[in-house]
Amino acid sequence: MSDWREQAQQLWERADGLEPGEAKVRLLEEAVRLADAHSDTSMGYMLRDALIDAATFGGFPDKALVAFAWCRGQQKKDPKRFDPEGMLWKQKWVVGRIKEFPHITRKQISDALNDMEQCFAAADAGRRSVLKLRYGAAREMGDTAEAERLWAAWLETPRDHLTDCRACELDDELDHHVDRGEWELALRKARPILEGRQGCAEIPHLTYGTLLYPLFKLDDLKQARELHRRGYPMVAKNREFLATVGEHLEFLALTDNLSRGLTLLEKHLGWALEHPSYRDRFTFYTAAAFLLERVLAEGGRDVVSLRLPKSFPDYRADCGYEVKTLHTWVHGQASDIAARFDRRNGTDRFARLLARNQVLASEVRPFTIDSTQ
Amino acid sequence: MDHRFQVSLRGVIDLLSHHLYSSPGVYVRELLQNATDAIRARQLLEPGHTGTVRLELMEKQDGSPPTLLFSDDGVGLTEEEIHRFLATIGESSKREVLAARRNDFIGQFGIGLLSCFMVCDELLVVTRSARGDGRTLEWRGRHDGTYAVRESEHPLDRPGTQVFLMSRPDTTEWFTPERLRHLARHYGGLLPFPVQLTAGGRTERLNPDGPPWRHEYESVSERRKALLAYGRDVFGTDFIDCIPLRSTAGDVDGVAFVLPASPHFNARQKHRVYLKHMLLSESAENLLPEWAFFVKCVVNANALRPTASRESFYEDESLALAREALGQCLRKYLVELAHEDPRALQRLIALHGLSVKALALDDDDFYRLVVNWLPFETSLGVMTLADYRRAHPVVRYTPTLDGFRQVARVAGAQGLCIINAAYTHDAALLEKLPQVVPDAQVERFSAADLPQSFEELTLDEREAVFPLVRMAERVLAPFRCGVVVKKFFPAEVPTLYSADAEGTFRRDAERARDESDDLYAGVLEGMMAAAGGDQAQLCFNLHNPVVRRLAAVADRELLKLSVEMLYVQALLLGHHPLNAQEMALLNQGLLGLISAQLGDGGGEGNEGGGGSGSRGFH
Ligand SMILES: Nc1ncnc2c1ncn2[C@@H]1O[C@H](COP(=O)(O)OP(=O)(O)O)[C@@H](O)[C@H]1O
Ligand SMILES: [Mg+2]
Repeated sequence: MSDWREQAQQLWERADGLEPGEAKVRLLEEAVRLADAHSDTSMGYMLRDALIDAATFGGFPDKALVAFAWCRGQQKKDPKRFDPEGMLWKQKWVVGRIKEFPHITRKQISDALNDMEQCFAAADAGRRSVLKLRYGAAREMGDTAEAERLWAAWLETPRDHLTDCRACELDDELDHHVDRGEWELALRKARPILEGRQGCAEIPHLTYGTLLYPLFKLDDLKQARELHRRGYPMVAKNREFLATVGEHLEFLALTDNLSRGLTLLEKHLGWALEHPSYRDRFTFYTAAAFLLERVLAEGGRDVVSLRLPKSFPDYRADCGYEVKTLHTWVHGQASDIAARFDRRNGTDRFARLLARNQVLASEVRPFTIDSTQ
Repeated sequence: MDHRFQVSLRGVIDLLSHHLYSSPGVYVRELLQNATDAIRARQLLEPGHTGTVRLELMEKQDGSPPTLLFSDDGVGLTEEEIHRFLATIGESSKREVLAARRNDFIGQFGIGLLSCFMVCDELLVVTRSARGDGRTLEWRGRHDGTYAVRESEHPLDRPGTQVFLMSRPDTTEWFTPERLRHLARHYGGLLPFPVQLTAGGRTERLNPDGPPWRHEYESVSERRKALLAYGRDVFGTDFIDCIPLRSTAGDVDGVAFVLPASPHFNARQKHRVYLKHMLLSESAENLLPEWAFFVKCVVNANALRPTASRESFYEDESLALAREALGQCLRKYLVELAHEDPRALQRLIALHGLSVKALALDDDDFYRLVVNWLPFETSLGVMTLADYRRAHPVVRYTPTLDGFRQVARVAGAQGLCIINAAYTHDAALLEKLPQVVPDAQVERFSAADLPQSFEELTLDEREAVFPLVRMAERVLAPFRCGVVVKKFFPAEVPTLYSADAEGTFRRDAERARDESDDLYAGVLEGMMAAAGGDQAQLCFNLHNPVVRRLAAVADRELLKLSVEMLYVQALLLGHHPLNAQEMALLNQGLLGLISAQLGDGGGEGNEGGGGSGSRGFH
């Protein structure tokens, strides 16, 4: 058997050549295990550094968290050898998503934010990054007043070398305006992204999804369709974008493109079933529930044919699924998750998000997607 | 009063030469483009007009810098047009007609002429319009932004335009016959009318042939030979095949060359693209669908939009449609291979499996066609899917290399054929099988599934190993690990450890928790408490002599120690790193075994569990 270091190196190189996703994460995990099996802490650290990236951008925030936790431990034990400063960006990614696991307590979330604030301060970085994450956490946990306060604080604080790229920050700003129904403002702010002047690894992928509903509300269905057509292929191959797929699903239901919607549902349900981010599962299931409600409302069709994955608990080899039962199931998933989040957060944000489906039902307006022009 | 911004021409030129244009040599491209556009405009007025572009290099006897005369018999310019288009940066005669006639012209931004100032300080344009009053006009523009127009003293006898470029002393390198020949061929080699170069008293035609893929050939093999030679000429590579390309959308045609070796990773290839027969880019990447990285192509497009830098195509609906159509051409080629020359397809798969697999993933019909020819690594050697399915009704695979290593040896010894689907696209391809081939059965396989294929114990054996099972269960409970005893091959393997994906994740999380601070250890505890999954399992092999003897050991302490050590060894053999608790087990266990041996006075205890048990013990 060849030298294990060589093997780990090879795994790393193979991972390097892959697009973000499950295969890449697996290769790096395997390399990490090799390093661990040989108690090589430096190698374990380096490989985890790469694994955090792959897991973050490939839809495995839980694995990113585990890898980071290990590294954070090493930083604390030997900060000279494992300089926390080198991992501040990754700390930001990890801490930013920790709220998406309902089993992590509020106290743990705020402890992680405080820990991050200290690390950033020690590295002489500004507070903008931390404030953005604090704002995001407050918003997601339904602490509306606190979120308002932090929104202002975030945007007033100057940018520094550790703040997210402009495109990412802009994209995050959009959510705030969409929350408040400021459709036009959201669109105006998004212009640099829409015109292709700003972008990064995940932008405009996310932005296109975010803007579907504002455009729908503004009655600019043509542009919405364009964003759907361009945006969906960008997110269709990476489960990191499950929530954005959910937004496309919602848009298809809103515009009465039910068949296309079902195709998205069958294609991506597998991701939702095992996705570590319950937040992303929630968006997807909520949109799926809305879609199936539309199919039911349409009437005349009790059973639909879907190629669902085997991991689906009610999997049927004949592919025939009763719409009602399926709806009950996805809606059940969404409301379970909503309940878990709301219980943890002590607010009702997720119950309200789920209830939004009723509003959407009254807004449906057919608009064809499947034409060549 | 309102004032206008003052723009320094020098500054703009500087900006362009550094940012927009990749090299001063592009001035030849811009002049060729303008001449081409002018000839096309004239052809619209006078159908049947052929058009010629002439480059004449006038080298001075006294050694002062040479002058290039660049002339065309295109539509020319009227006085008004000169002021409007030639003399105004950012104005273009081609923009107004843009919506209607975009496809006829290459230019449209009105900045092309500026590129000439990268190589000279003064431009003289002598022109006679095909639409005008027959006068010949002269425009003299300088790099500082001043210009003058007057009637020429040397009238042209036919419509057309002559551009005189007087080289600067520091740019003479761009005015040699070799350079000009090279640049004009490079950018205009496919132009459908003559491009001539006159230098040193000799005149030559630079583009004798037009696109080689449009030529007539004696036979198919002649055609193939000629195109492969062309491919070698363009890319310096000996390609293994060539594929015709054609798309109505964007009006694209050309040829794709099959690479002789697998590209490093699935990198997008850089293609050479012509726009209206003028070279646009040698590194266009967005022309083919993502899966098609097994070819490099040369194409001409008449109706795609260039980007402002004119070095690739603008991402729009037409490009999307053209990409789709070109993908179809490649697909058609592969389909024909499958029908007509399956061996050639197999060779292609061996080289470019990744491309073929990526296409198959996206395209059900194509999938059906090729999937049986795809080779897979299995626990019984490499075989095609067709061979696999002939011998084994259920397709079983492991999605990771680690997972495969854990099962390959034992599975092979049981005669179980398991596919290693850790390679790119393999797992997704196999998962797709039942969707496309209705009667196919496909299952993910992991070490946890192995014991099902193992032989059960007889009633007597069951009784005999009972104490071992009880002890092992007790010892391994804190590790969330269950116990079974079965009989399997190879007999040298005493135990097999298996955990499902959640179990493996849990192990990773445990190690991180062991290493982390209180905050994150707490967070990970939360994660683990919420994680599902079955508990891990240690399967003892009663075919193994050590396990047989162990079942007979009465000394409970020795039994306990041995189970612990077999557990740790199984973990290490399966490439599972140890957590802190298991590490402690290993350390104490080693000492315990040694002292047990010493207490025994030595004896024959070194039969070992499988020979390779020391892996990872350093
Ligand atoms: N050889 C030529 N014959 C006729 N008109 C020309 C010629 N070269 C330049 N022009 C005119 O000058 C304008 C500006 O040229 P240029 O700066 O290259 O911009 P563009 O080609 O993008 O329009 C053209 O639009 C055209 O009207
Ligand atoms: Mg031009």
